[in-house]
Amino acid sequence: MTSVIEKLPHRRLEAWKWTDLRGQVSDARTGLSQVMRPQFYLPDGISISEGEGASSDSAMGNLAAQFCSMSWNVYVPANTQLDAPIVLDELTQGHMRLAIMVDKGASLNLVEYHRGSESGFANLDIHILLAEGASLERTIVQDDPKDMVRISTACIAMETGASLSQYALSFGGGLTRLETRLYGDGEGVNARINGAYLLEGQRHTDMTSVVHLKHPNSHIRQSVKGVVTDKARGVFQGKFHVERPAQFTDAEMRHDALMLSDRAQIRSKPELEIYADDVACAHGNTIGALDESALFYMRQRGIPLQQARALLMEAFLTDVFDDLEDEALQASLVDKLRTRLEALS
Amino acid sequence: MLKINDLTVAVNDGETEILKGLTLEIPAGEVHAIMGPNGAGKSTLSYALTGRDGYDISGGSIDYLGNDLTEMEPEERAAAGLFLSFQYPLEIPGVPTMTFLKTALNAQRKARGEDELTAPEFLKKARAIAADLKIKPDMLKRPLNVGFSGGEKKRMEIFQMLMLEPKFLVMDETDSGLDVDALRIVADGVNRLRNPERGMLVITHYQRLLDYIVPDKVHVLVDGKIAATGDADFAKTLESEGYDKYAA
Repeated sequence: MTSVIEKLPHRRLEAWKWTDLRGQVSDARTGLSQVMRPQFYLPDGISISEGEGASSDSAMGNLAAQFCSMSWNVYVPANTQLDAPIVLDELTQGHMRLAIMVDKGASLNLVEYHRGSESGFANLDIHILLAEGASLERTIVQDDPKDMVRISTACIAMETGASLSQYALSFGGGLTRLETRLYGDGEGVNARINGAYLLEGQRHTDMTSVVHLKHPNSHIRQSVKGVVTDKARGVFQGKFHVERPAQFTDAEMRHDALMLSDRAQIRSKPELEIYADDVACAHGNTIGALDESALFYMRQRGIPLQQARALLMEAFLTDVFDDLEDEALQASLVDKLRTRLEALS
Repeated sequence: MLKINDLTVAVNDGETEILKGLTLEIPAGEVHAIMGPNGAGKSTLSYALTGRDGYDISGGSIDYLGNDLTEMEPEERAAAGLFLSFQYPLEIPGVPTMTFLKTALNAQRKARGEDELTAPEFLKKARAIAADLKIKPDMLKRPLNVGFSGGEKKRMEIFQMLMLEPKFLVMDETDSGLDVDALRIVADGVNRLRNPERGMLVITHYQRLLDYIVPDKVHVLVDGKIAATGDADFAKTLESEGYDKYAA
């Protein structure tokens, strides 16, 4: 068992300096040496098999491979237009490997519910290939107990003209990391990578992303927003890596957070690494408090303080979900946020 | 209806005294205007009445319908019928005007123990009032005041006022930013609310607004105190003579 812990990344690694996984995990965690038993809800015409899957070069990917010799493989045939999403549930604890291939011109909605168990540990290693002209709308809802440790890493390779819209909602846990690694393997890929986190108590969420572009004419928009209170901690790490051939890249990264308590923390590291000379790349990062004047204005109209705060925070956070195409799903994310906001003191 | 007695109010953690013993009584059914030079304490009075943080009441009293106003939270004052039309209305990003107003109206009704208004009832009322004020329906779907011009924001204040039907109105420089047509629309809205149960305090820098909303009394506020009081014509005298002779 000790050997598992020794394989976990730790804070002396740059990419994990604010999310000290090894420091948070002890032998007592359930799921540390288990295989996850996920539940898949598949639309008609989509099947799932077990196979070798994609190989990983990360510590967490290798760890998943140690416990899962086989990967779940989902294949969406070329030009398939599905009228229902693939839903992943019961991502409770243990290790899992998943590979999804969306073939040329096909489109897929993927919805993941990450709901763990008390003192649990979960490690998901997800590989997605979007072939030429394929599109994916991926929605992640993470709602774990306060001491759950969860690492979810998705490597998404995009071929020419592929598009991705990703929306993540995270309520944190003992330690949560939702990592997205996007590889532009063809020209003109289009991606939106949005996320929102709301953390109370001593919860921790880390939203890390790397966008690696190697070909021209790609369009990337990223907006992550967070609210932290009590002694909670939010981490945002975003990197755009634009190689020399990736001319005419248009990429924008934003992270905006509200801190409602002096003891809460936000750690943010936006990085642009650009080798092409004709690109538009920008990043912005803000950390602030709720606007006291706006709060007074709302109270003067009769809205009680707590409700006024919840309304402002809801408006602040939910705009990252504005472009989510599945309206029912969008409404359910807003509802989840609202319920949590109303419960904040 | 509103009785302010010997009120002193300080800002900057109590260090700077702005109102220095202000006494004023506004009975139900009357409209009183307060005029005065910059820095006299006009806006401070409006914030002290509505309970904004940072405005410390260091002396005197404010009685509103038999209640000690200074003991009430801003939202309690609102539910008791006190409404401030802001000199600079705030932008509320991400909250559509209709959502904001419905939340406010129903919060007030709930606080008063009344039934909440249903969505159709609310919508019907909002549409009728918006039409009167020449507010386009799509403006009501946009986040409150975000990207609105100064005049649009003021019109939106009056819209909220007509929707909330307060008992006592405080209007802080409602005329600033309005052209003559907009001023007339706004004044018509305010005049529609005049009735024997309702009191109003109109704070203004210029006499112009008082041509449209004719007050029962006009007070001059200079250096934190009421320096003089007159009738509606007194405003015209002030406009031509200035405030210098009331300065301490």
